[in-house]
Amino acid sequence: MDEQQSVLIVDSSEETREVLQTALERRGMRIFSAAQVGFGLELARRHHPDLIVLDLELDESSPEHLSAPFAEQAGADHASLVVLGSVRRRNSCLPNAEFVAKPYHYAPLIRKIEELLGRCAMGETGPCRRCS
Amino acid sequence: MRNGGNRAVPSLFVIRGNDQGTRFELEEPILRLGRDSSSAIHVHDTEVSRQHAEIRRTNGNYTVSDLDSSNGTFVNGNRISRHLLASGDQVQVGSTLMLYTGRSDEADEDLEMINIAAAEGSQDSSRIIRSVSQEQGSQIFAPDAEFSLNPWLARARSNLQVMYRTALAVSHTLDIDQLLQRIMELIFEWVEADRGCIMLVDPQTKLLKPMVRRTRAGVPSDEEITISKTILDYVIERNEGVITSDARQDDRWDSAASIVQMGIHEAICVPMQGRYDVVGAIYIDTSTSPEEIIRKGKTDKFTEDHLKLIIAIGHQAALAVEDTRYYSAMVQAERLAAIGQTVTTLSHHIKNILQGIRGGSYLIEMGLTDHDETVVGKGWKIVEKNQNKISALVMDMLTFSKEREPDLSKANVNRVAADVIELMQGRTDELGVELVWQPADEMPNMMFDPEGIHRAVLNVVSNAIDAAGENKPPGRVEVSSCYDAEKSLVQIVIEDNGPGIPPERMDELFSPFVSSKKGRGTGLGLPVSQKILNEHGGRTLVDSEVGRGSRFTPEMPAVAVI
Repeated sequence: MDEQQSVLIVDSSEETREVLQTALERRGMRIFSAAQVGFGLELARRHHPDLIVLDLELDESSPEHLSAPFAEQAGADHASLVVLGSVRRRNSCLPNAEFVAKPYHYAPLIRKIEELLGRCAMGETGPCRRCS
Repeated sequence: MRNGGNRAVPSLFVIRGNDQGTRFELEEPILRLGRDSSSAIHVHDTEVSRQHAEIRRTNGNYTVSDLDSSNGTFVNGNRISRHLLASGDQVQVGSTLMLYTGRSDEADEDLEMINIAAAEGSQDSSRIIRSVSQEQGSQIFAPDAEFSLNPWLARARSNLQVMYRTALAVSHTLDIDQLLQRIMELIFEWVEADRGCIMLVDPQTKLLKPMVRRTRAGVPSDEEITISKTILDYVIERNEGVITSDARQDDRWDSAASIVQMGIHEAICVPMQGRYDVVGAIYIDTSTSPEEIIRKGKTDKFTEDHLKLIIAIGHQAALAVEDTRYYSAMVQAERLAAIGQTVTTLSHHIKNILQGIRGGSYLIEMGLTDHDETVVGKGWKIVEKNQNKISALVMDMLTFSKEREPDLSKANVNRVAADVIELMQGRTDELGVELVWQPADEMPNMMFDPEGIHRAVLNVVSNAIDAAGENKPPGRVEVSSCYDAEKSLVQIVIEDNGPGIPPERMDELFSPFVSSKKGRGTGLGLPVSQKILNEHGGRTLVDSEVGRGSRFTPEMPAVAVI
């Protein structure tokens, strides 16, 4: 029925990429991962993932500037965007993104990713408005 | 020994360096100055030798002698082997600059014995007989034809110029108490005052607070100095210096009984006008006894010239007080900023470590639930890696914060470097960096702290690998060692083909908590390496070109095995 859902992880921490990839792959998702913004954006444009996890502390100098093209791509693909880091929604120009402050726990983060992908208990497909 | 408040004791006050603000009081006949913690004058400065100099008392004065230190001892900018210290001398060892203050002729006087009396109920019947505005007082050195005609004024002028120069020299001090003490001494040198005090306006309460008191030898020093609040208010509010006298100006009173009975009390009180505000007031007074009046007739001891002179001194002192306060505020602000930066960098780093541990734990939990040993293994690896990170961070912090002596033992630099290379292998594989090790053919065993040098080299190599890892493949780090028997020097050369260091960043390379690794670094690696090398009498040379890479060369003297 459903195509395999895909998640793009853009995070400079190899550990975070590994933990998320292991956990999400076990949930049947296809994972793309990038350590750098440039390559991440390339993957986003090539594979149109259903959800992008973006660590905004890749480069603290201009997080907004870095995240804008991802937000644009996510918008075009009707994909969800999860932003990790210290930026809060009220300070952000990404109104549709989900913000998770660091240091975060993985279990709630993965639950949130699942919810955004419509894998919540309601069994809906597509982005779950109720949970997001 | 340190930070005492007794101004009568000669002291060395640190005006620049890690111990800035510390006062070493010289109470013993012989004091050692050095980096060694057993030194009476213990200076936290890696450029200072362990036993750098000796301060010895001779006839009440102190002489500083260099003890064949590596970097020398300087007095007022000149390298010395022995020098008799005079008040105001600046003694420099390494990066530490200290100001010497000699023994004060007068013992410390009781500041409680200064009373600012309110107008009502005051016993003081003095009134202002002359006043000079602050601006007029400052014009004391303006060319005046009268000066060349009047020998007294000519002498006074030259004296004043000398005093002005001294006051200017004094304005460089960063210790307000010492500065005011010196100002008071100057005033007593040039004006025949019996008693004097300097009051500063407390920046918080805005009230005048006595800071220094001085009494001429032979004048009882246990008497309270009473200063009329009315006069003080006049001086501060109108910014004018005044001469007061309790003698009647009316000539009919000249030999009158009251003067003969009571004597005459004269005083000068001037504002200390800084750039922006009046920061305080200087007060001096003198009394003429009835006997003296009978002998010499009624004469004014304080003249308008005295008043102008004290106003000029007050202005100089005020500028110096303002400078010192501004400087202290700046140092304080810098310290706070440094603390802020330290906390930010450390919390960021610790946060990342915590994130890593949470990730590893999550995988372990997941692996255990699913009975998947591979995932448990993966998680455990991450936890372990972060444990090492936090342990390295703690070790770096300890190394950086603690004053310590290297734990010398017989070891070989090639062996230590080879251990570092082996330890880094996993990391180079991870980042796809080629790590090449070329040990020197000749490398004798020598005395050094192998653990310390291991840490110093590890930090530099680890940085090089990170830098080379940023490169498009192939990243490459080459480590070689080199022993120069002639110069008795050992070097480890670490070269990378990373992005290089921009020239503007070179100055902050060894500053703690400044990292260019975008949150991945603690900013402690290079400062710790440098500190360890300095403790060994060595240093780290850096050569870098943007776009081509960097070369770090930690080097230290080769200390032969005894």
